[in-house]
Amino acid sequence: MDNTFINYLPLLAIVIPLAASIVLCWGKSLGETAVKAIALVGFILPAVIALVLAFQFGDAPRGDEGYAFLTDTDLGLQSSVGISLLLGLNGISMPLFVLAGVVGLAAGLHAIQSKAERLPLYLQLLLVMQGGLMGVFASVDIFFFYFFHEFALIATFIMIGIWGGQGRRSAAMELTIYLTLGAMLALLGLIYLYISTDSVSFSLIELRKVVASQPISELVQKNIFGLLLFGFGILVSLFPFHSWAPRGYAAMPTGAAMLHSGVLKKFGLYGLVQVAAPLLQAGALGWSELLVWLALGNILIIGFVTIAQRDLKQMIGYSSVMHMGYIFLGIATMTVVGAGGAVLLMVAHGFSVALMFMLATAIFNRTRTYDMTEMGGLGPHAPLLSGFFVAASLASVGLPGFANFWGELTVFVSLWHNYPWAVAPAVLGVVISAIYGMRAIARVFYGPETELFKKTAAAGNIRDITMGERIPASILIIALAVIGLWPQSVSRDINDAVEGIEAFSRPSMMNHAEPLADAEAPAANTEDTAS
Amino acid sequence: MNLEAFQAFAADNQWGVLWPELSMALLAVLLLVIDLFAAPLRKSVIPALALGGQAVILVILVLSFGCAAVGDYFSQMVNLTTLGQVFRVFFVLTSLLVCYVGWVYLQRQNLPRTEFFALTIMIAAGMMILGNASNFVMLFVALETVTIGFYVMVAYARHSPYSLEGGLKYLIMGALSTSLLLFGIVLLYGAAGNPSLPHYTGDGLSYANLNNFIVANPDNLLVLVGAALVLCAICFKIGAVPFQIWIPDVYQGAPTPVTAFLAVGSKAAGFVVLINLLRGPFAALEAFTFPLLAAICAVTILFGNLTALGQRNVKRVIGMSGIAHAGYLLLGVLALIKGVDWAVWAIVFYLFTYLFGSFAIFGVMAHLAGPDDENQELEHYQNLAKNQPFLAGVLAIGLGSLAGIPPLAGFIGKLLLFIAAFEARLYSLLGVAIIGVVISIYYYFGWIREAYFKTLEVPPDEASGETARPYPHPRSLSLAHRLLLGALAAFTVLLGIYQGAFGSSPF
Amino acid sequence: MTVGLNAFLLVSGLLFAIGFFGVLLRRNTLVIYMCLELMLNAVNLALVAFARYHDSLDGAIFVFFSITVAAAEVAVGLAIAVALYRKRQTILVQELAAMKD
Repeated sequence: MDNTFINYLPLLAIVIPLAASIVLCWGKSLGETAVKAIALVGFILPAVIALVLAFQFGDAPRGDEGYAFLTDTDLGLQSSVGISLLLGLNGISMPLFVLAGVVGLAAGLHAIQSKAERLPLYLQLLLVMQGGLMGVFASVDIFFFYFFHEFALIATFIMIGIWGGQGRRSAAMELTIYLTLGAMLALLGLIYLYISTDSVSFSLIELRKVVASQPISELVQKNIFGLLLFGFGILVSLFPFHSWAPRGYAAMPTGAAMLHSGVLKKFGLYGLVQVAAPLLQAGALGWSELLVWLALGNILIIGFVTIAQRDLKQMIGYSSVMHMGYIFLGIATMTVVGAGGAVLLMVAHGFSVALMFMLATAIFNRTRTYDMTEMGGLGPHAPLLSGFFVAASLASVGLPGFANFWGELTVFVSLWHNYPWAVAPAVLGVVISAIYGMRAIARVFYGPETELFKKTAAAGNIRDITMGERIPASILIIALAVIGLWPQSVSRDINDAVEGIEAFSRPSMMNHAEPLADAEAPAANTEDTAS
Repeated sequence: MNLEAFQAFAADNQWGVLWPELSMALLAVLLLVIDLFAAPLRKSVIPALALGGQAVILVILVLSFGCAAVGDYFSQMVNLTTLGQVFRVFFVLTSLLVCYVGWVYLQRQNLPRTEFFALTIMIAAGMMILGNASNFVMLFVALETVTIGFYVMVAYARHSPYSLEGGLKYLIMGALSTSLLLFGIVLLYGAAGNPSLPHYTGDGLSYANLNNFIVANPDNLLVLVGAALVLCAICFKIGAVPFQIWIPDVYQGAPTPVTAFLAVGSKAAGFVVLINLLRGPFAALEAFTFPLLAAICAVTILFGNLTALGQRNVKRVIGMSGIAHAGYLLLGVLALIKGVDWAVWAIVFYLFTYLFGSFAIFGVMAHLAGPDDENQELEHYQNLAKNQPFLAGVLAIGLGSLAGIPPLAGFIGKLLLFIAAFEARLYSLLGVAIIGVVISIYYYFGWIREAYFKTLEVPPDEASGETARPYPHPRSLSLAHRLLLGALAAFTVLLGIYQGAFGSSPF
Repeated sequence: MTVGLNAFLLVSGLLFAIGFFGVLLRRNTLVIYMCLELMLNAVNLALVAFARYHDSLDGAIFVFFSITVAAAEVAVGLAIAVALYRKRQTILVQELAAMKD
């Protein structure tokens, strides 16, 4: 393929959904079929582009700092404040870019098939989100990285309001205020970062070069990293700032929940790995101890809260908050293994949580309730659906064979080297997630049939998983399995990129005599340079 | 004085330099003349002429931008600057949009029309001179043209007690601020004329002479008191705390287009004067003006946002949030005082985004206002998205822009202000600004929530008939309205993504 | 005995203060208008005094503008007061509180 053209593909992946969204403004006069077709194009093309780029990535000529497919467009602010639409992908952003494309496709397919009222508006807002998501991970300019993230804010708010579930009025407001607070702190951090360097540009490449030659003073680094950590942390539902997430997800319509929890939430984590830690090495080291504690809060405290949930959607929301803890732990170790595992886990969690939210809606459509104590006995009526749900639950628990396993494993390995005391509580977290995962499966599919379920079943609308649900679910589960069975497909590029970042070259804190058995995990094959 | 002196005096009275102001004033007079001599044409011709005439002036102004020679004219009464020229465009645009909103408003009212347009255009002409004034006499006369015009405009709906009450309150507070301004000017003039001080000048009203004097005597008590009084009067114009008390009642009582004019035009006029003064005569008073304005800035941001939370009337919400926006803009002014020169551009950019966002909202408000213009509660926006998706979309874009959400223009405005403030190291004020932005989400999105969210069903027996009745929204909009409102929304989005030539400082 | 500049300024300052507090404290709209005029005239006095003692004409000329503006202000103000009285049968400011949060 022509190289100049392929460099414009990331831009196209952003523009196509947005353009589709604008076309849908005239949704009424287009007719339903046309609306669906346009939306379909808007969702499929970014995913196709992402996959094409992923396959071309290995051979693509690399620019600075391992970025491929670089294009730079000045939108007006370049000469004044050094902001330009610089797009490109490196080993860390590539898998997340694919994640955004694929989860977006799944969410889009689900939304197109859904019978939501005012469908054109729904698709329109979802497409705006999708365009923003593709932009987040394709941006090399840290301003645009932030900018694209915020595309989702108004869209999510309106989506919760019109198609949302229980408690939507207050949940929407809480979510929006929390996210704005986080985003504003992060924005301040990013501007502070830009001002503190002598950089003339917001471009990550430029910033890395400048920081490498003239490091920022340690105190300032700590200040900036603190801002970014709490800003991003709020966006990712880091422990004491998590309360928006479960309520928000419970109130969101399915498509929005899939995109938000699966992809958008990775923004903050990605920011820590790609922006904050590499540029602010000393700052990151200063905060890493606290981050470990907060992450353990995510895993244990939210873990127990998750067990106590009766509402299926709330449970998934809490479990997604809990799993963020592992990713934070991986980053907090500041090692190649840990950061690589964190990125892998981000991808894996993105697929699995999106799948969970989709299946939860599928279950709701059959049982007419999210209350797990009111469910039971769905399994015999919908064997395929229960199969999907079991697979998704096992994946998110971290069963070998699915992508999450490799991510969690590498995080534990890196933890063992640097914070050995944190391994035990982290592993306890896996047990917790196994408990609530299994309990949910048992209650929803295999328990005795409840009164409510009998009534719904008698009404005759219990069918197995439909085609409209099957296709997106299959896409997601295939993605999970591919990475699970062949982790090198993703981890190689991630590790290449992470190894290039000096901040993640922290030596292990304990001088372990015997090499650890788990360290030879395939996903972690190239690292361990630390020891 | 001999003839030559007069000739020299008149040599730089180049009237051509003031053609935009003059043509605006002539347009206003023309409207009045037509009204007087061709009464039957009132309904059709006058709005078209007002809108069309200003559009022509705007186009010529933009096309000829930068052609006029920058410098002093009229014996240093007028100092034509690039900034002043940008604000000329700003004020013509504002006045044009006010006339549009006024046209929508007047169609439902039994009120005289011509005077509305004539006054609006006249006030705009005053504002345009204000941006280029470089002498306190000029400043005073231009400012009073604007202010007295506004007294009439606020009380324009003379059948409405709210409008009259708003007019009265605005008049009392406005005259008070005029007196403060005048007293401040007098003190400055008096201090500068004192023959016992170095660099004293007989012409202490001119910015240039005053500046020379203040540079030599930055600690003179009379100068400090005078500067403080002048700044207070300007803070009144921009609605900064503690000079904001007039805002809620006046904004609520005034006809919707006048509220828009006050919110956008009056505020911008205040800022251009503030910038001119702080870069001119008050430049040497940094040690005094900075702490004063910093305190005002912090309190203004917090007060505006917190009081906006409790409002149910949309005009009051806009008024209170406008106070907060004045606070954000003061952040840029403070950065300017600290020597970040490009902060001027950040302020101008912010004001333009504020203009587009505000008029998108005011346009929607004007269309939704019933025959009784006063009652505009948040409840009236319920189900708007269902009944009028177009208006709801424009409203959401405007509100989002004011809240500063990407990819809308307001975000870029805030970003530039924040970067400027960072360069000036105003860390604690930035913290306050962030708190303000987060608070503002609540009421801006609360408004969007009214428009978009499904309302809770009220059981008919409980509601006693009155609350259950949905508020009637207009069924359809003509193409012209759609185009104009759509253009405002489109500009708001476009300026947020692509800044083009506006993306770098022209100053 | 000659009267110094400071004496004029003192009187002017006093008048201004009386006017200022009058605006804030009085209840009748007409009295408030008078207080506003008082403030403007205090300013005029100071202007003329400065112009006289500092030998510069600018201040004296400025007074003309200030008087004109004051006249315009009062003209508009009285018109509003009359219109308001017709509607509400009162011109006491504490009774003019139709708008509330």
